[in-house]
Amino acid sequence: MSLSPSSDSRSIRAARHARAALSRASRRAVVAAAVALGATFLIGNNAFAAPAVGQQAPDFVAVDTRGAKHKLSDFAGKFVVLEWTNPGCPFVRKHYNSGNMPATQKAATAQGVVWLSVNSTERAASDYLQPAALDTWMKTQKAAPTAVLMDEDGVIGQAYGARTTPHIFIIDPKGMLVYAGGIDSIASARPDDIKTATNYVNQALGEAFGGKPISAASTRPYGCSVKYKS
Amino acid sequence: MPAAAQLASKPGAVVTTPHVRAELVAHAPEGVAPGAPVWVGLQITHQPEWHTYWKNAGDSGLPTELNWTLPPGVSTGDIAWPVPRKIPVGNLANYGYEGTVLLPVPLEVSSNFKPPLASLGIGSGASALDIRLKATWLVCRKECIPEEGEFTLALPLQGSTALHKAEFDAAQAAQPQPLDKPGTVEVSGNNLQVRLEGLPAAVQGKTLGFFPETPELIRTAAVSGKDWTQSWQGGAWTATLPLADQRSASPTTLPLVVALAEADRQPGQPIAWRAEAPVSGTWPAAAVPRAEVSPALQAALAANAANAAASISPAELPAQPAGTFIVALLGAVLGGLLLNLMPCVFPILAIKVLGFARQAGNRSAHRKAGLAYTAGVMLSFLALGGAMLALRAAGAQLGWGFQLQSPAVVAALAALFTLIGLNLAGVFEFGRAAPSSVCSAQAKHPIANDFLSGVLAVVIASPCTAPFMGVSLGFAIGLPATQALLLFAALGLGLALPYLVAGFVPAIARLLPRPGPWMGTLRRLLAFPMFATVAWLVWVLGQQSGIDGVGTLLALLVCMAAIVWALTLRGRTRLVIAAVLVAFTAVLTAAIGRNVLQTVEPARLASSSAGQRWQPWSAERVAELMGAGQPVFIDFTAAWCVTCQYNKKATLADAEVLADFDGKKVAMLRADWTRRDPAITAALTSLGRSGVPLYVLQAPGKPPVVLTEILGKNEVRAALAAL
Repeated sequence: MSLSPSSDSRSIRAARHARAALSRASRRAVVAAAVALGATFLIGNNAFAAPAVGQQAPDFVAVDTRGAKHKLSDFAGKFVVLEWTNPGCPFVRKHYNSGNMPATQKAATAQGVVWLSVNSTERAASDYLQPAALDTWMKTQKAAPTAVLMDEDGVIGQAYGARTTPHIFIIDPKGMLVYAGGIDSIASARPDDIKTATNYVNQALGEAFGGKPISAASTRPYGCSVKYKS
Repeated sequence: MPAAAQLASKPGAVVTTPHVRAELVAHAPEGVAPGAPVWVGLQITHQPEWHTYWKNAGDSGLPTELNWTLPPGVSTGDIAWPVPRKIPVGNLANYGYEGTVLLPVPLEVSSNFKPPLASLGIGSGASALDIRLKATWLVCRKECIPEEGEFTLALPLQGSTALHKAEFDAAQAAQPQPLDKPGTVEVSGNNLQVRLEGLPAAVQGKTLGFFPETPELIRTAAVSGKDWTQSWQGGAWTATLPLADQRSASPTTLPLVVALAEADRQPGQPIAWRAEAPVSGTWPAAAVPRAEVSPALQAALAANAANAAASISPAELPAQPAGTFIVALLGAVLGGLLLNLMPCVFPILAIKVLGFARQAGNRSAHRKAGLAYTAGVMLSFLALGGAMLALRAAGAQLGWGFQLQSPAVVAALAALFTLIGLNLAGVFEFGRAAPSSVCSAQAKHPIANDFLSGVLAVVIASPCTAPFMGVSLGFAIGLPATQALLLFAALGLGLALPYLVAGFVPAIARLLPRPGPWMGTLRRLLAFPMFATVAWLVWVLGQQSGIDGVGTLLALLVCMAAIVWALTLRGRTRLVIAAVLVAFTAVLTAAIGRNVLQTVEPARLASSSAGQRWQPWSAERVAELMGAGQPVFIDFTAAWCVTCQYNKKATLADAEVLADFDGKKVAMLRADWTRRDPAITAALTSLGRSGVPLYVLQAPGKPPVVLTEILGKNEVRAALAAL
């Protein structure tokens, strides 16, 4: 069997690439498993009792779409917005395509708020996106979250009682849940309604920064069911 | 994916999408006339596994919306929603419809209705009622598709329209029957106690499904028999249902539907009943917290905002912008410098003055002493900072000065200062009293001595947070470990700076007097600040361990002093007396030593140290007072914090200041951090600080005002005047 030098080196390179990709994938899998395990321990007993507004928000560790790890308690001292998302959901698309969600994200992060978009869609779901694909989608939407967290096992979503996409939670600098509910006040899939709806996230953050209590601290989230792993 | 059914240019009565077939149907068996029964409705036929929603959609989804356009004189009622079914979606649940459902709406034809002229009528030329419907519905399987459709129907005025009689009859049969009695709903804890009476006898003993019409109230996915229970008490049906964790409704009346299980339904018999039950009891308070932003945080947020444009990767966000960090470093150096002026550092000042005098004239020794002292200070700061970060990483709620929250540390410090005091007073010399090589090393090597005095300075200084230092430390907590440690090192540098400069600038060293007999006098004099420190520490321990702890500590200190004295004796006497004293001390320690480490109930402290004016602090109490519109002043304090005690006795006891507090009706709360208290630590953290003293003036609707650590009378009065 004789191979020309060039094809030989090419095949070696290909093999090396494959090996690197495999090790990358396995490393990611190991990290994800470890983090899922860690999150399970961290969240522990709260697994079935979601926090009510005014209670301590459960801590968690998650890996974002770029492989970086984030721990909620690391953001102590800052406001954190958790946004449940799934690009397959028409309600999520309503708020992204219209530019409403990216604008809300930008307004929040410009004030120093940490915005974490969380995807709790299970792997088996038809609209599950691989981390890289989700990252790309966010980019094409000009989205501006601090990080997009992968929660395929639904551990974080269950801990918070996230039911819909979108579903918004705001955690204050002390780690208290201060808002749980919808992105805005008109439950519909019509982009036209955004204009007349009250953006609850802007309102809550505005009130918090103005030193006022949050007037609508618990609202009805609307959208698609989070596609949890059953 | 198409968001809406793409309709033909001319709408008709049927819209077909990939997921449903929707048709506008009517039922007017007696024609369209005032008083005649006229029903219209949207009939939705779902693809298998797909569903649309009831008026309360449950955990997700949206109810179908019908928007009618009708000629004048004709109006519609509400949708007569047929009984839904519960559709579990994993650990969530929805209320909705699968298969075919008809959502009927009654039409009200008033006498004002003028039938259009036959010639203008639609269809066959006979006069008709022109009905237009725009409907939107959300159809879901696992995925959800919002759809909409426009429908038109010309309903003949005369004659009978009964083509869909069977469907309307079925929808009628699927209607819940109104119950004669409204029933009762009682909120008890996190449950709803529902009691319904007047259900037909045939239903009694059967298991019913429960459908509240108010959304966001109960845990929709709760499973009967597992998460919620129901039972029959004679003819009354009772149930206990869990409230939703994130409830957003607190109605005074709860419209609800109970339905027979599908297997129990009999043709021709009602399958469901509806009641509008008054709600008694109080809904668990959905605490509406004030999401407070401290000025320190506000400043950090503003800095973040300024740098947001330059932010590169979201993963790097936790890192602070470089500019802010340099400012924090400078602040830390300045804070450390000011720490020298704090009363708690005074004893160490005494030691250092003596040290310099001893080596007067020896310039290189001064230089070495300065460096050794600086190293001791900085390394101790790094060690303390490292310990704090490590404990914090392990989840402990700690703040600056935390080590003095432990009675053991306080007792050990008291012992240490007693030893130093005895040494200064001339009771013993380290070299002679202790045979251990450690002590002789300390005495023989002035550099080691200086290093250790640096360590001591930090140990003593740590309970005091000077101005600038509080902010720097609060800032350090949120930083990555290396940056945080740099900040701690900067603090140490600030504290050591005066000695370092004195060591290197001969002019300063030359100002010191020459050695002589006066040194012995000064040395004995300096024993008293040491004993004063012991007195203070004993008082601190008294706050923590009570009178028994203080008594025990003093007894043990006496024993220790006696042992030290015994060791200065010579020959066999030394061994005998020392052995007896050591044995006695050991017995005493075993018998009552535990008293020192015990902690007394905080309540005793609250009642003793907080007078009538001051109330004990709690986050709830603050929220309560602020809710009632009252401004609050919070004194974050601790027994071991000397600055706090000074402020308490000076500014906060000043008659004019107190009159101002009364004039503005300010509630005064004291948060005592003498012992570990995670709630107070959390409150300090939220204000951007990690230690006491901290004084905060808060008024409803205004950002909290943080006052300086050394509380000035004028400052407090100005802050009160600004309320």
